[in-house]
Amino acid sequence: MPEGAEDAFIAALKAAHPDLVEEAVILRQKRVSVVAKREGLLELARALRDEFGFVHPVSAGAVDYPKENRMQMIYYLMNPSSRFTLMLRVNLPRDDLVLPSMTQVWEAMSFHERETKEMFGIDFEGHPNLVPLLLPPDWRGGYPLRKDFKGEGAPT
Amino acid sequence: MTEPEIKPDIMRISWGPQHPMSGQTRILLDVDGEKVHRIIADLGFTHRGIEKILENRTFLKGIIPIERMVMVDTANIGLGYVLAIEEALGVEVPERANWIRSMLCEMTRINSHLYAFGLQAEATGYFPAVFLWTTIDREVLLDLMEKLTGARWSYNFFLPGGVHHDLPEGFQEEVLEGVDYLRRRFQQYWDAMVENATFEMRCKGVAVLKKEDAIRLGATGPVLRGSGVDMDVRKDEPYAAYGDLDFKVITETAGDSMARLKVRFHEIEQSLNIIEQVANEIPGGPVKTRVPLFARAKPGEVFSRVETPRGEMGIHLFTDGGMNPYRVKINSPTLRNMYVFERLAELDEILVADLTVVINSIDPWYLDSDR
Repeated sequence: MPEGAEDAFIAALKAAHPDLVEEAVILRQKRVSVVAKREGLLELARALRDEFGFVHPVSAGAVDYPKENRMQMIYYLMNPSSRFTLMLRVNLPRDDLVLPSMTQVWEAMSFHERETKEMFGIDFEGHPNLVPLLLPPDWRGGYPLRKDFKGEGAPT
Repeated sequence: MTEPEIKPDIMRISWGPQHPMSGQTRILLDVDGEKVHRIIADLGFTHRGIEKILENRTFLKGIIPIERMVMVDTANIGLGYVLAIEEALGVEVPERANWIRSMLCEMTRINSHLYAFGLQAEATGYFPAVFLWTTIDREVLLDLMEKLTGARWSYNFFLPGGVHHDLPEGFQEEVLEGVDYLRRRFQQYWDAMVENATFEMRCKGVAVLKKEDAIRLGATGPVLRGSGVDMDVRKDEPYAAYGDLDFKVITETAGDSMARLKVRFHEIEQSLNIIEQVANEIPGGPVKTRVPLFARAKPGEVFSRVETPRGEMGIHLFTDGGMNPYRVKINSPTLRNMYVFERLAELDEILVADLTVVINSIDPWYLDSDR
């Protein structure tokens, strides 16, 4: 594993796509966080895969921040040669939860996006089969991993 | 799950969740005669909402539910969460505790791989005796674990700041005896399974996953290494004592069901070497640093990775300054491998008769994928 691969990656990314990246930081060794601009997410994802070698999708999930009225979608990616974890993030206002589906770039994000849809209510445009993954098909109790979800008394 | 449409001239079979070989999931198979055209996994039968449960518990109390994710492998799973908590709280772990952690993790890795062998032998339908052998041999390890932790399955032995207590007296000698016994037994497994012509016919060349497909589809663990990619968190980002221990990352190039099984075989050998090294060379000193029961982590996030027997598990822990985590995202290895399993029908010809072999070569644990 080359030393300083994280620094080199961030420098190269900022040089190649300054208008797509909002923020790129090293959280600690082997953890890189990149916040994408929402409108350029798909383009940035394609660039990460084709130009920077992030061909190995790991996972995806979201975090809810109701106080700041936003949600953050996180894609976990890996480059099989440099082997640090890249967290590709994008912030969404809570009243407009639509993103392009990353299955167009990494096919294996399919399950993770299905899970995020049922748990957070984020819609993924262009997903081939956005049906619930873990929750039962007749579930009407809301989005369980949102912060304002109440286990009891949820609308049915 | 809403079922997708069926193409004409194709029959759909619903397999599981009550089938003895399917595990707690339902698998839909679109078949044309004996050939499987499409696999659709219907997960979620064991969804318990562990990520939500963890948001409502203090850091320490969360260790108990998270170990329920994979009961044969509670040490590795629990360690992932404990490492995340330690990083969030900024706790240093004594060296001896790290060595004990590595030893217990390798014991459960063997335990889990033994279970996978037993099921694979069952799946080939050839000799259920192997399942009984592996179950009996697990007892050697379970007895050791019981002596060390007081429990056979779910230990809650790893705590932020170290391990619960030190090794009991005479434990190292017993470990070395157990390692000797298991080494002898593994030769028998190898002869009965890998060298056996019938077993080979059932597994060799079945469900081949090429290297580039394994990377592209996000496979992990023995599934990825069986296709020739040497990714192992223990080597890539050493945690616990793995940086000081001498072991190899096992890969096979064939990418078929047999290769995935062989990876597990050789990993057990490596695990036994690790356990032996720990028993012989463990450094002295304390085994825990004190962490307050209701510790508060400063706002932020940490992401920890561990190598479980099924592959890489990631824990993304978000903290907001309270006593509970703000959010815990668990990157489950089985969920990733189940997607690979779904796609296998398109990558290679799979027959209905091979399906039990294929699914057990992935070594799924649905409580892990469903969380």
